Amino acid sequence: MTPAVKVENLNFSFNAGSPVLSAVTFEVPEGECLGLIGPNGAGKSTLLLHLNGILPEKKSGRPSVFIFGEPVADEGIENIRRAVGFLFQNPDDQLFCPTVYEDVAFGPKQFGMPDSHIGEIVTDALAKVGLRGFERRSPHHLSLGEKQRVCLAGILASQPKILVLDEPTSDLDPRGKRELIHLLQSIPTTKIIASHDLELIVHLCSRTLVLDNGSIVAQGGTREILSDEQLMLAHGLEKPHILQHIHPHPRT
Amino acid sequence: MHHDFLDRYSRSDSPMHRLSAGAKMSGALLLIGAIITVPLRFGWFFLLAFGGLITAARVSRVPARFLVRRLLFLEPFVAGVAVLSLLREGGWIVFAGIVVRSTLSLATILLLTNTTSFSTMLEVLRKLRISPTFITILALMYRYLFVLVDEMERMQRARMSRSFTKGDRRLWRLLSTTIGELFVRSSERAERIYAAMCARGWQ
Amino acid sequence: MHIPDGFLDTKTVIATSALSVAGVAVALRHFKAEDQPRKIPLLGLTAAFVFASQMLNFPVAGGTSGHLIGAVLTAILLGPSAAVIVITSVLVVQCFLFADGGVSALGANVFNMALVAPLVGYAIYAAMHKVYSGIRGTIVAASFASWCSAVIASVCCTGELALSGTVPWSTAFVAMTGVHALIGIGEGLITALVLAALHATRPELLRAEDESGRPGDAKTFVLYGLLVVIGLLLFVVPFASPLPDGLERVAKDLGFDYTAAKHPALPAPFGAYRFPGIAGGAASAVVSGIVGVVAVFALSVGLSFVLFPRGGKTVQQKP
Repeated sequence: MTPAVKVENLNFSFNAGSPVLSAVTFEVPEGECLGLIGPNGAGKSTLLLHLNGILPEKKSGRPSVFIFGEPVADEGIENIRRAVGFLFQNPDDQLFCPTVYEDVAFGPKQFGMPDSHIGEIVTDALAKVGLRGFERRSPHHLSLGEKQRVCLAGILASQPKILVLDEPTSDLDPRGKRELIHLLQSIPTTKIIASHDLELIVHLCSRTLVLDNGSIVAQGGTREILSDEQLMLAHGLEKPHILQHIHPHPRT
Repeated sequence: MHHDFLDRYSRSDSPMHRLSAGAKMSGALLLIGAIITVPLRFGWFFLLAFGGLITAARVSRVPARFLVRRLLFLEPFVAGVAVLSLLREGGWIVFAGIVVRSTLSLATILLLTNTTSFSTMLEVLRKLRISPTFITILALMYRYLFVLVDEMERMQRARMSRSFTKGDRRLWRLLSTTIGELFVRSSERAERIYAAMCARGWQ
Repeated sequence: MHIPDGFLDTKTVIATSALSVAGVAVALRHFKAEDQPRKIPLLGLTAAFVFASQMLNFPVAGGTSGHLIGAVLTAILLGPSAAVIVITSVLVVQCFLFADGGVSALGANVFNMALVAPLVGYAIYAAMHKVYSGIRGTIVAASFASWCSAVIASVCCTGELALSGTVPWSTAFVAMTGVHALIGIGEGLITALVLAALHATRPELLRAEDESGRPGDAKTFVLYGLLVVIGLLLFVVPFASPLPDGLERVAKDLGFDYTAAKHPALPAPFGAYRFPGIAGGAASAVVSGIVGVVAVFALSVGLSFVLFPRGGKTVQQKP
């Protein structure tokens, strides 16, 4: 079975600077929810941006990223972007249209869905995220949680096969966080979530990668990884409270 | 700053709101065109226009106090320039004419803005085949206007509470560092928005 | 300087609107040819930025306050065509959402503040910067050019108002130009300070000048020059100097009656080639104008030394 995401020996640096990603290799089977954790500056966001081809800006040489077997390259990038729905960290950067309706409709319009269907698609997407009736609202008057859900609706409207989320719960209050977790649990799509919020990772992700200094330093079952206190501390993280009672076998 | 007040009532409902944006925009333009070209001696026209605007205002259910306050707020600017006209011979008539025309036009625009949302107006422009680049730029500007104004206010407050130099030097320094920083943040945000647009299939 | 509705007569509205539409069209075409789509969000955000910056007031003499127009600053940061588009967007939003500037006057406001201000200002900046490079040169050129842009824009504004018969040229000219000469100092100062601040923190944002030389550029600048010159010929020159009789008659036939717009009771319009003696009202106006320009230039140079006493790095050029 073709994995949803295959990353093979990915190396990256900005403009001949020091390497930001080194020899990153992993696979994500379809339907799985993968967590990506690591200290600040580890390269998590940079890694995620390779999954839909925003990085590298110039794609030359052998592709290192494959989405359902298709290489992420300049040719066919539109299909990649349609397949990979990306939720950016700051909803204000992503909610760039004057009304909610236009924003949710943006993706479908760009991907060529016929105008007659778009109204329906938008309504469905908004309903999925629990924002029925928000079509004519102006983004500026929404709460952060609502903005984020509109962004999610906009992504879901294009029916992606993979969801990539970059720090989805930063800035959310506890209720917003709870609602987001419920929402994501109800979406069966393949997901990759980068987050500092280890509780979120525990709730949603079956497997987790630990990234530090641009390299993968550990990967495995979420509970196993996150309850390994030594590993967590060594990479600028902490064992989350909800796993405090778990003491795994020492890792070799 | 109250972000609402720009087009605070543009999203309410009334028979005026439900009229098509194209109709309202062309109506407003035609009316303003008439207001500035019809010679002053046809006083009845201006009274008619005035009456028509009042009726439209009532139908639109936009609160009268709001409209009047906005009008009054804008009047000093009109008067300021209009005063120059008093310097020429026959100035009083010119002055009166300007005030009448300006005020009626202002009222027309106020009504248009508060019964039509900006994005529907942009939609009309799009249908008229106006440059899509320009329309996208206008839409982005409108969307991020308040975001930037908020940011600027926050920066001003933060800086004012940290700086202790007195007087004018402080004011100029404050102004320029705020503006410089705002530009930096705007261009960085623009990069992120570009990435978000591309991620959703743009261009 | 936003002209409201009702101040301009029909022929002026038509003339300014035609010039503006042409100018913005040229700018859009040049922008699309020269800049990738990735600049589009930058222009949108910069327009919002200019708008937000214009909300900051600074004190001008006598209790009035002025605010930044930002035309030259934008042109230096993003290029002249981008500046035209940005300032036009600001004016459009101000007109429709704030009723700041009339709909019929949008053409005139765009011509003054979105075409003349950034284009003439940038031309002055570029010419000066070629002669006087480095960061000090940038400061001198930018502050002087910004002042000029404010003054020239206000002169065009006065011309349009006078041509419409709304104000008498001579007195309006003195009032408007005087006020904007002061506001222009603020504009020049803020532009310089902002550029200095950016040079210190993010020098890469200061646009490199050797981006000219692309095939579309020459044609674009010729078109811009044409539009500005036509505007000046229509709205300013005839007031500043008497037209030859033949031309005057043609203008009258077309509805452009310059003599009617000049107040008969006030001194004759000044012409650069007429010096009836220094005591004459016209010549002293010219002399004071020259003195003003030189003074502002000197101030600009002084400012550059205050900000960069030791010179500092040159503006980064693209490799």
